[in-house]
Amino acid sequence: MQTATTHDTLRAMRHADPALSRFDPLPRLLCLDNFNTGSCGFVQLIGNYEGSLDSMLPEYARYSQPMLSTINHWDTGSQGAMSGNYALKLATRAQAGSQNVAIKRLTFRKRGPIRLEFYFTFKPEASEMRLSEADVRSVGFLLDLQTGDRDGDAARVMPHMRFLNAKDGNHAQKWQFKRQTSPVRKLGTDNKVVSHVHLAEDDWENLADADQRLCYNEIPTKINWHYGCFDFDLETMQATQFRCNDRVFDLQGIYDCIRLPAMPNLWCMLNLAFFVDTDADKRAFLYLDSVCLSGDF
Amino acid sequence: MLRHSLTAVIARNEKWSGTSATEPYEVGWAQEVAVFITALKSEGLNKGNAAARVQMSPDGMRWVDEGTTLDVPTVVDGVSMARLRGFGNWLRVVAEIAPSGNASVIVTLHLK
Repeated sequence: MQTATTHDTLRAMRHADPALSRFDPLPRLLCLDNFNTGSCGFVQLIGNYEGSLDSMLPEYARYSQPMLSTINHWDTGSQGAMSGNYALKLATRAQAGSQNVAIKRLTFRKRGPIRLEFYFTFKPEASEMRLSEADVRSVGFLLDLQTGDRDGDAARVMPHMRFLNAKDGNHAQKWQFKRQTSPVRKLGTDNKVVSHVHLAEDDWENLADADQRLCYNEIPTKINWHYGCFDFDLETMQATQFRCNDRVFDLQGIYDCIRLPAMPNLWCMLNLAFFVDTDADKRAFLYLDSVCLSGDF
Repeated sequence: MLRHSLTAVIARNEKWSGTSATEPYEVGWAQEVAVFITALKSEGLNKGNAAARVQMSPDGMRWVDEGTTLDVPTVVDGVSMARLRGFGNWLRVVAEIAPSGNASVIVTLHLK
C-alpha cells in the first residue's frame, strides 16, 4: 500500500519524464511501448490450426504483419509519430469488410486493477482526393484474459471495444462493445485445438451515450492523435472505466465482456490487441504512437 | 545498441495463380532485406521461372519494378531468395504465373 508521500513522489517523477507524463498509469508499469525501438512484441494475430494452415478459420487467414511506419503520404511525405519517427501501423486489405489485428501476449501475476492507455489515430489510404471520412469502418482494442489455474471462478474473459466510425457509408461515430462470439469450433483431429471468431461484425452493442466526434481533420493525409484509456479489474473480471480524449464513458450496468469456459492452455493469460476494419474497397490504417499497460500490485 | 531485426510474413498460405501481389509493407527503417518465397504447394511450374519480382513504391499505391526477380518454387518446401539494399520505404512482391501453374506461398522479409 502506498503512502500519500510515496504516491506524490511517484507522480512527480512520472510527470518529469516526457515519455510518461502523457499517461496516467497505475503504480506498476508492465509495458511502456514506443515504436521507435521496434514493434515491442506486437505481432499479427493468427488463427489456430492443426496439421495444415488450411484448417485455419477463413476469418483469420488474411491478417498480416503490423509494420513500423513514419506515416508517409504522397503529398506531404513523412509525418512521423507523436513521439519520435515511428508508429506501429496496422493495415487492412483494399476490400470492404477487411480487418487486421495486432496482438501482444503476456500473463499476469496478480488479479487486480490494470489500465491500458494508448495514443492512436486512423485514416483510409489516401488513394482518392476526397475527404473519405467514412471509409474506415472501425478501430478498436480488446483484452484476452483467463483466470489462474487454481482460481475458483475459472473463465476466459474477452473485453472488446471499438469506435464504429462508419457502417455501409453511414458516418456512425460511436463506441461499441460486444458480449457474443461465434460458436467455438474444433480444428483438426487431435481434439486439442479450437477456434472462434470474436471480432466478427455481428453482435456489437452501443455504450451508453456512445456518440463521439473525433478530430478527423480536413483531408486524408492530415493526422491528429487521440488518447484512449481502459480500466479493468482482473479480480472481478469487470471493466471499470473507458476514456477517449475529453470523454469518460460510464460502463456500469451496460458494458460486459465475451465470457467463455476456461480453456486448457491459457491460464493467467493477459493479451492486448488492436484492430482496424475498412468500410470501403480501400485500405484502412490504424496507427499506434505508444501503449502503456500498468497495474496496481 | 543492437541492430534492429525483423522478420515480416507478408503473405501466408496465399494461392498465387495468374497475377498476384503481396500487400504493401513499409521498410524505411531497414538498410537491407532478404526476401524469401517458400512453397506450401506448387504445381505446373518450371524451374528457372523467374515468375516473381520485387517492386518499390514512392507512396504505397504506385509501383515500379526494383529489378530483382525470384523463382516461384516448383516443389513443396522449395525456397527462393533474393538480397536487396537501397529500396526506399515500400516493398512488395508481384508474381505472374501461367494458367497451367499455381502455388501456395509464404513470403517473408528479413529486415535489419
